[in-house]
Amino acid sequence: MASNVTRAPLVQRRSRSKSYLQPERSCFGSVSRLNSIPALTPRRLSTSRRAPRFHNITEKVNPEQLALLVKTEWQLSYVTPLHQFRHTQLRSYSRQLSAFIAAEKQQGLAVEVEGPQSGFRVSFSVVQGLVEEEDDAETVLIQIHSKPLFVRQDEPQRPVWSGWLTCINGNQEYLRSLPEDFICLPLFGSSGAEGLTAAVKSWFQQTFDCCFGPLEISHTSLQWLSALWTDCHTECNIQHLKMIWTLPVAPPLQVTYTVNPQDAWELWSSVRKDPQEEKKGEEEMENSIHIEEVMRFIQELKSHFYRHFRLDLSAGSLNQVSTALGSAKYSGRIKISNSRYMITTLTLLTECALLKMPI
Amino acid sequence: MDDSMKRLLQRLIRRIPAHMLRTTLDKWGRLSGAQQRSLDFTQPKWVLTEKLLAICEENGWTIKHITELEMTYVIDNPNQGMWHASQLMDPEDDAHSVELTQFKEQFKAHLSELVRPVSVKIKKHTDEAVWIRIAWGDRFSEPNHLKPTYVVHHLQTPYVFVTSLTSKQKPLLSQALVLSTRYQAIKDANLSGRKLTAIRDLLMRHYQQVFPTKYPSPLKEKNQTVSNPHVEKEQAGPAVNRLQMACEAFGDGTLPQLQSAVYKLETKFRDHTNKIMTEREEPFRCVVKFASTNLLESLRHCASTGIASTPVTPLLSSIPLKGKNYFVITDNGPGPSSQMRQPLT
Repeated sequence: MASNVTRAPLVQRRSRSKSYLQPERSCFGSVSRLNSIPALTPRRLSTSRRAPRFHNITEKVNPEQLALLVKTEWQLSYVTPLHQFRHTQLRSYSRQLSAFIAAEKQQGLAVEVEGPQSGFRVSFSVVQGLVEEEDDAETVLIQIHSKPLFVRQDEPQRPVWSGWLTCINGNQEYLRSLPEDFICLPLFGSSGAEGLTAAVKSWFQQTFDCCFGPLEISHTSLQWLSALWTDCHTECNIQHLKMIWTLPVAPPLQVTYTVNPQDAWELWSSVRKDPQEEKKGEEEMENSIHIEEVMRFIQELKSHFYRHFRLDLSAGSLNQVSTALGSAKYSGRIKISNSRYMITTLTLLTECALLKMPI
Repeated sequence: MDDSMKRLLQRLIRRIPAHMLRTTLDKWGRLSGAQQRSLDFTQPKWVLTEKLLAICEENGWTIKHITELEMTYVIDNPNQGMWHASQLMDPEDDAHSVELTQFKEQFKAHLSELVRPVSVKIKKHTDEAVWIRIAWGDRFSEPNHLKPTYVVHHLQTPYVFVTSLTSKQKPLLSQALVLSTRYQAIKDANLSGRKLTAIRDLLMRHYQQVFPTKYPSPLKEKNQTVSNPHVEKEQAGPAVNRLQMACEAFGDGTLPQLQSAVYKLETKFRDHTNKIMTEREEPFRCVVKFASTNLLESLRHCASTGIASTPVTPLLSSIPLKGKNYFVITDNGPGPSSQMRQPLT
């Protein structure tokens, strides 16, 4: 009983959905379904992670689905575990979400659509082959099709909004500790009109008793991505390592620091080959990257900059990192340009999302 | 009135913002009092365009008149498009005595020899600047008035500012300029920006410069923030020094509005804690771009707040000192600027 009492206010505070006021969907009801206390998520980002490996992703995942995921910029959010979400019910969810959006539209939700006759067609699908671990739930892709404005009647509907929910290499301890009824897909990406994103989130919140929240890509995560992407250069030309900082002066100063990919890679590998690091076993060094190496890499780049401009970039904030493999922004926008290393990127982002779980 | 003229006038009216239309037409001065009064500037632009086309027919205007109107607008609103600065080199003995009429004649003559047909319009603006509008044609076509090049040259100075010039047209313009100004060569000044006034002020030092002094700074601290009196006392000295050095490097008061500066670094990676990189022979290649709504003010603020260490590094102070915003830095010092290369922005 004690656990119910302490849990409830926490969940209530986070949620803005009206469902929590209804007795059938009360937070007490949902919490009482949690028979055991789930393991606490780690309090900070892992200090080491596997070096990016080339995953034969194009062979494992449907190329059409893959094409939908890459080369689009997604806005990220985190989601708490979904109650009674079933991968077998996707058709039903598609119909329910369509109806929900149509109902919202009647209430005055502003979305571009052609006239009252044409509605929205929603499709839920599973992206199979992305996950590797047993405990990771399969990725779900959601698309909303509609007829855009000023188009002939016989024109087919086009996708106007896309989103996905995923969990890649999530913390196994946490996932296993969740009660059976809950599915954890903590990372949510969306692309399209804000109004539709809000509608989708609202429907999820009502149907699966979950919460959404904004996910920023922290300074540390951006540094990780710089290092992880640079590490891929020998296998896949990253074309450049570009970092954008903002300095807090009046008017604000933006510094774009673009490094030649080969030179960036040589600097990165010199940081990894440091004689101090040789204490670790050879194999271990090959496979795992430690946060200290990442920080040293970034620090060396900043020092080179300081030696020329006598300007300390630490006084500013790192806002964006990009290479040919993708781009990531502090505001929580991510673009994956090359599917070959997307697992590494999604693993990092899944971890960021799990860190934001309120319980 | 032919189609091309109609199109030119339509394009021009569309380009001029509604609130500036009346003043521009007034300045141009080719409308009669009655015609001017007949124009209702509260109406949508397409209505005004129709009226102007009618007046155009009535007055029998030619392309010449329309381009004159365009020039009037551009001269008054020069802070559009991308301007690139060039510098004339090695003056002949009589370079300094070239005056307006001579320059005009010579320029038109030389350019017409190099390009035929070409339409050149030269106008002296009140502040000693000579404005040139060039519409380029070739063997197969008439001068293209939809894509004119604008050139601004301050007589008695070696500076030239150009916008909307293609790489094919560049050598022709350079040749004509060199011959008519009595210099021997022209080179890229590695300075470019959207605001002509800013790059002109920077290059010609039309802003408040501050010189090093041995005495306590006469510059007062602006924007005093309330804080701990002990901290203030301790920081007062260094803060004033930083402000003085920041202003020495960049200037005082309002600074020319430069938007960006690009540095192409090709220097070796020097860090004694990283043996591998220090032993490397090849340079560490990277490009750094600074961007801001007013770059010089941002940099000055960096220096005065201590984000940039003072004294300000010559790399940054070169921007106002040399009037450049594109640099190639190698271990032998700033690299020679290429004569032919267009600067990055």
